[in-house]
Amino acid sequence: MNWVVLILLVPLFTGAFGVLSPRPSRARRGVFLGSAVVQLLLAIVVAALVSGGDRIVLAPGGWGASVGIVLVVDLLTGIMLVLAAGTAVACIVFAYASREAAVEHPLQLPLMQFLITGINLSFVTGDLFNLFVAFEVMLIASYALLSLESDNRNVRHAWSYLSINLVGSAIFLLGCGLTYGMFGSLNFAVIAERSNELAGDPLLVLLGLVFLVVFATKAGMFPLYYWLPNSYPILPGAMAAFYAGMLTKVGVYVLLRIFGTMFPADLPVVSELLAWGAGATMVFGVLGAVARDRVQHILSYHIISQIGFMVLAIGFATPLAITAAILYITHHIVVKATLFLVGGAVIHVHGTDRLECCGGLARLAPWLAAGFFLQAMSLAGIPPLSGFWGKYLIIVEGVALGQYVLVGASIVASILTLVSMMKVWLGCFWKAAPENGSAPVVRPGLATMSVVVTVMTAISLVIGLGVERFYGVAAEASRQVLDREGYIEAVLAVGVVPSGEATAVSAEDAGGVAK
Amino acid sequence: MSVQLDTALLVGMMTGVAVWLILHRSFLRILFGFALLSNAVNLAILGVSGDPSGRDVPIVGETAGSGIVDPLPQALILTAIVIGFGVVSYLLFLFYRMFVDHETVDLDELHQEGDRADKEAEQ
Repeated sequence: MNWVVLILLVPLFTGAFGVLSPRPSRARRGVFLGSAVVQLLLAIVVAALVSGGDRIVLAPGGWGASVGIVLVVDLLTGIMLVLAAGTAVACIVFAYASREAAVEHPLQLPLMQFLITGINLSFVTGDLFNLFVAFEVMLIASYALLSLESDNRNVRHAWSYLSINLVGSAIFLLGCGLTYGMFGSLNFAVIAERSNELAGDPLLVLLGLVFLVVFATKAGMFPLYYWLPNSYPILPGAMAAFYAGMLTKVGVYVLLRIFGTMFPADLPVVSELLAWGAGATMVFGVLGAVARDRVQHILSYHIISQIGFMVLAIGFATPLAITAAILYITHHIVVKATLFLVGGAVIHVHGTDRLECCGGLARLAPWLAAGFFLQAMSLAGIPPLSGFWGKYLIIVEGVALGQYVLVGASIVASILTLVSMMKVWLGCFWKAAPENGSAPVVRPGLATMSVVVTVMTAISLVIGLGVERFYGVAAEASRQVLDREGYIEAVLAVGVVPSGEATAVSAEDAGGVAK
Repeated sequence: MSVQLDTALLVGMMTGVAVWLILHRSFLRILFGFALLSNAVNLAILGVSGDPSGRDVPIVGETAGSGIVDPLPQALILTAIVIGFGVVSYLLFLFYRMFVDHETVDLDELHQEGDRADKEAEQ
């Protein structure tokens, strides 16, 4: 039984099933929910297999790392797989609660499964070109899902998402070509091995910059985030939550993988750019959030701001900072998805998420309100909630490194986060419903939504209160990410290494270019 | 790898024209811009396999042993072409839908109309 392949095949086949049986029904919904639960169990099994500190390396074609495709799972991958599958389950249940089975768009759930296939593949791949393919699977599914149910007026916002990601993909592909030219291979382990010899080479720095631009775009970093805050709110609530939780985090995960494992950590230009770009991302993102007056827009700008924290930690590139980044990613996926789900519930109740038209939800759905309040405080970093610990570690590390400006920026961003979250809290939950606006009424499905939000909040509380255990896991994952020798050794030990001329030729070519 | 100035110039030229096309306001030109951009990148990857002159085809049994053209970039391009085709066909349908909805092929007009509609929805 091969768990890693199953984790790719189950969502793929579920998606294919959905396309082949397009008639929406309760039974079809049951199949999708069952598949999501199975995926969650599979992800937990895979994470349990790697929790001992081993890596699972798989060569599906039987070829060795220098020519074939390899799939690599380490603890960070396991964590991300579990988070993705868990978020998917929550979002699917929420989507079921938000409307009747009969009026569901027949392609929504299949496209989400294809999206999950792409996300899972980009977590487990150990090969740059395969990563490109995974990104394209994910992005094409996300383009289609984004414009699937948007109305005539909103479909134009899909354009900014699409155009920036298309250019990003083209640069990514070009980066793959350049990498192959330099290293004669696209495998992470082989690149890591050969880049040891090339340390300090300006071409390597250039390649690092190309990948920085690509994945900073995918992650939504300053100044490449324009596509994000306008496009996410046009999605239905449940899908917006899944996008918000997972898509940008795939970019962050790849940044961790590339600048933690693949390239040597001493690319000073790139690390500086990462750290300062992250500082700007935090501040500009949260300023956008303060300026907006709609729940989903405010939350979208917050994604950008929080991406800044994670990338700042990657820019610091010390073991403690990477641990902090992993802890922060874990916290953020859960919390952000919950907040977007609450935003979806607000739209479900009021028909709009404009703050001046909302109000009175705290009385109507107290559990929803409590969940939102706790998650909002967690996002702002109030101890002992989950958001505090990641931020605390990042700030400790920043002070230790003497980066006082960036630490200051992160504290300012946290305070502004609190301000704008209070704005949403007061507007949606605390104040009475406006007289001219639509009064909130209990619609069917609100109870289920409250349950989903409460469960997610409970998970986040467990992370915050039991942080010692999660810190231990994150520390082990960060040790594996930074353990380049172990990674190279584990990957190169698998599969048949061909002794043909083709490899020899490309290796010579690589040497030639490097000079 | 030997110097392939002609390939490099061609890639540069195609990328330049592609960017010029993408910066237009008309859907049709943007579409062609993206198609051209993906082809420019594919050509760049092909260039990575080196100057083919004097090398054999990468087919088992026909190689003379003096060195063959690196086949991997060609396999990569094959994948990239398929993906590029998928993206362009999606783009075609998105533009078709925007044209049907708004009866314009001009992005500026589309956004102005959308902003107006947003304002009306607020009031």
